[in-house]
Amino acid sequence: MAQIEQKDGGKKKKGAQKKMAIHVDFTPMVDMNMLLITFFMLCTTMIKSQTLQIVLPTNEEVKKEQQSQAKASEAVTLILDTEYNGDVPKVDPETGKTIHNIYYYEGVADTLFQTSKYLRKEQFIGNVNHEPQGIRKILRDKNKQVMEEYQNLKERWKNKEITKEEFDKLAKKNASDSLKTRPVVVIKPGPNTTYEGLINALDEMNINQISRYSIELPTHTDTVLLKHFEQVNNETIIRPTVRQTTKATAAAAAPAPQQ
Amino acid sequence: MGKVKIKRKSTLIDMTAMSDVTVLLLTFFMLTSTFLQKEPTIVYTPSSVSEEKVPMNNVVTVLVSSADKSGKLDDPTVAEGKLFISFTGDADSTLSSENIRGMMLDEALAIYNEQHKNNPVNLTPAEKAQFRSMNMFGVPFSELKNMLDMSVTERDKFQGNMTDPRVGIPIDGNKNREGRLNDFQVWLKAIYNVAQRINNDQANGLSAEERANLSNLYTALMRKGQGIAVKADKDTPFTTVQMVFDNLQTMKLNKFSLMTALKSEDEPTK
Repeated sequence: MAQIEQKDGGKKKKGAQKKMAIHVDFTPMVDMNMLLITFFMLCTTMIKSQTLQIVLPTNEEVKKEQQSQAKASEAVTLILDTEYNGDVPKVDPETGKTIHNIYYYEGVADTLFQTSKYLRKEQFIGNVNHEPQGIRKILRDKNKQVMEEYQNLKERWKNKEITKEEFDKLAKKNASDSLKTRPVVVIKPGPNTTYEGLINALDEMNINQISRYSIELPTHTDTVLLKHFEQVNNETIIRPTVRQTTKATAAAAAPAPQQ
Repeated sequence: MGKVKIKRKSTLIDMTAMSDVTVLLLTFFMLTSTFLQKEPTIVYTPSSVSEEKVPMNNVVTVLVSSADKSGKLDDPTVAEGKLFISFTGDADSTLSSENIRGMMLDEALAIYNEQHKNNPVNLTPAEKAQFRSMNMFGVPFSELKNMLDMSVTERDKFQGNMTDPRVGIPIDGNKNREGRLNDFQVWLKAIYNVAQRINNDQANGLSAEERANLSNLYTALMRKGQGIAVKADKDTPFTTVQMVFDNLQTMKLNKFSLMTALKSEDEPTK
């Protein structure tokens, strides 16, 4: 291919130049190209990161009258926690993923413990065989009316009856339809929760089309509930904050300054 | 018996076809590539099902460093929670990344010097030019001059050292937007002010519809909440990230996005 063959036309003419086959060796060219490809492959980002949008309330104080009160029957509170092994999050040996626990209760906090098993423990399991499990199932059941309509819309979009834009618009409208019973979720990340735990919780809100949720810090009531849960189930949930203990041990390990 | 003659073949392989293929591949990579932005530290973001892409333009990225994972430090948490900011401007030249950075720097310095009259930070034009060409920075105002005087290699090394107490934009629990701001809040206020100003400048003489279509930082920030993207490691404690959220809330930038990797809905979360 690279050589250009030139055939002599029959008889050799006297004095005609001897024609050589021109052969270009492309090996160095290939070498160089390979190097460049390697360079570009290493320096590029093929997958762009995704973003999860979030709107938080302002820090400014809101007057009591202006606060919208959620109906007790609609409220779900999720207290998040991440299991730690020393100062690194504990990893499930089977899946290789961090273990996050969710302690949740419905309605107002029952600090008198009138109902047994008031606070329940769940985990982020996601879907197993396309069926929601764990906390996802609980939230989905709470948001049944919205989810039914959402599935309809999804079906219509898949059948190409509506476009993606229309679907997004309708899904958004559906999620905030005040005529349907929708849960109000309060996400309370405990002191040992990792960022991943929070993202998982926010993700569940997206998956289950829950439009009303807020992120708050756990209150004293939550601690009381967790303490009670510990007693009933014989578990330790309330641990000293991991970051504080590492700081303390590091300080203790450091030699005391000489007088 | 006749000898079987083995014909000697030339071992030359024709590389032309190979060359063609490599050139094609090279062209593909060159055209599709977007270069990795230089970041002082690597974080592994958690994954979510959200399919919204990180915008290419008009975005302010806030990077929160993670605890040291190399295991070489006695206390890996020293490296945790250091803040870095990067500004990316419009694709067109008037509001390019360089210009946006310049505007942000001027605004932030004005705010900072107003609050710290006793030890103001004054930068030379050369230092400002350095800042305009930097992608990500993370030093307190008091260290800014020092850092900008370094050479590029020195600076990368300096900013990449997470154990250095001089690295990372200071953040503390100030909750008063009008009071004495911490360094991170000064930057946020600068972002807010600059975005407002660009919007006012550009929006003059535009119809309502054109105004809505303005694809500048302001729109990204205020309307869509894509203007600020927080990037943190999945193992960073929530309390550390909460500090950033809290500061954003204080500075009235309560609509923002969190950077995540993609996963499918069916993927087990546990």
